[in-house]
Amino acid sequence: MPDFEEGGAREVTLKINGDDFRILVEPRENLREVLHDRLGFTGTKEMCDRGACGSCTVIMDGRPVVSCMMLAVEAGGHDIETVEDIERKQHPLIETYADHNAMQCGYCTPGFVVTAKALLDRNPDPDEEAIKSALEGNICRCGTYPAHIWAIQAAANRLKTREA
Amino acid sequence: MRRFKHFDASSLDEAVSLLARFEGRAKVIAGGTDIVGTLKDSVLPEPYEALVNIKTIPGLEGIRNGAGVLKIGALTRLEDIAHNETVQTKYAALAQAARVVATPHIREMGTIAGNICQNTRCWYYRCAHNRFHCVRKGHAAPGQSLECFASDGDNRYHSIFGDVKDCLAVNPSDTIPALIALGATLKTTKRSIAVKDIFPPSDEPTKMTIIDSDEIVIEVEIPEPQASSRSAYHKVAIRKSIDFPIVNCAAVVDFEGDVVKDCHICLNAVHYKPYVPERAEALLEGEPLTDEQAATAGEAAVWGAKPLPMNSYKITMAKGLVKKILIACREAG
Repeated sequence: MPDFEEGGAREVTLKINGDDFRILVEPRENLREVLHDRLGFTGTKEMCDRGACGSCTVIMDGRPVVSCMMLAVEAGGHDIETVEDIERKQHPLIETYADHNAMQCGYCTPGFVVTAKALLDRNPDPDEEAIKSALEGNICRCGTYPAHIWAIQAAANRLKTREA
Repeated sequence: MRRFKHFDASSLDEAVSLLARFEGRAKVIAGGTDIVGTLKDSVLPEPYEALVNIKTIPGLEGIRNGAGVLKIGALTRLEDIAHNETVQTKYAALAQAARVVATPHIREMGTIAGNICQNTRCWYYRCAHNRFHCVRKGHAAPGQSLECFASDGDNRYHSIFGDVKDCLAVNPSDTIPALIALGATLKTTKRSIAVKDIFPPSDEPTKMTIIDSDEIVIEVEIPEPQASSRSAYHKVAIRKSIDFPIVNCAAVVDFEGDVVKDCHICLNAVHYKPYVPERAEALLEGEPLTDEQAATAGEAAVWGAKPLPMNSYKITMAKGLVKKILIACREAG
């Protein structure tokens, strides 16, 4: 065990998509940097880097949060879920997003999908208003907003038939 | 981003002693959505040396409904407050205010105490790399005099009630007006103090609140409003989500039939601290709350306002907002 400076860089265990990653992080590193740049979870995108656009959304302990505004040293021990896990578990959102063309350039899409997954976990049958308010923090410069409502409602329907 | 030290405090005592050790050069981090932004932008001429994380202290989160008082732990997330059933029914103005802070993602991170203690959003003050070393930041170099860049610059979002020691920045908090109108009290590691009293006197413009650098907010306590009272809150901003308020307003009105028995109004983002329009409150009490009365109260609320070259529209907005909120209280029953 190296001798770390008090209050400086330290080892944290990040629980990402069910796996533990032990990694040395500096206090100034944010969670998005560590996920994307150091651990290769490249679905967590950087856009505004100020918590205003939602592109870097991850689910932490069931809450959709912007990883660019969270210090990585403070994320240790919490359950972190990225878009990679949503794809790996074949969540219907992945297919319904493609079916409804809910993207144009695609850069903001992972952030939308993660936010939508967090919504469906809490509310399996969201109406249009609930979807709109859950997505208030995600910005798409291509303007694909209406398609997200269709894609999320279709995914909710598939989840219901899957369970039935 | 510059390097800083980071400590996970395991108790309030440990957090306080860490803060005291750094003598003002350390700052508490809770949700982090405000302070991480200031650090990323290197806003301050002398950056903080350390952050003390209080999320690792147990027991600071949660909403408890006690005998005649609602207790909200300092670390309670804004999203949890917005969706809490008791808050929605009995403390409607607070639920409505918490619901419109920034974005859902920020509300899942941001805490009630952080929202109370947040820094100003003045765009000269917050401009990256301390590009505008203004009067608010202090520490003038020898021979240099500090100024407020908003006074001759773009002041469309600045104070309508004048400067404080030349600074025109406003308090941007969404929840503070609701908390003041509801008569909330803060419990900190040093004292118990009404939310309306936490703002500095007008000779200390660089501070948002009088909470000391080694003092930590523990809890917000709100007395249960009278069953006959109703509250409402509204925020005017450029977009529905993300943006800070241009003007926001909360009111709690206690009715006896149609007549206003007691009334508390608070505006924010109009002055360096939240603005309680006492004239408007006084003229409403003892009278029925008609639309005309509400409009007169709106006029009275902005009495003494002094617009800057670019923000007289905020006065019109504040007037209309007070009227709208009072009518919303009346209709809420």
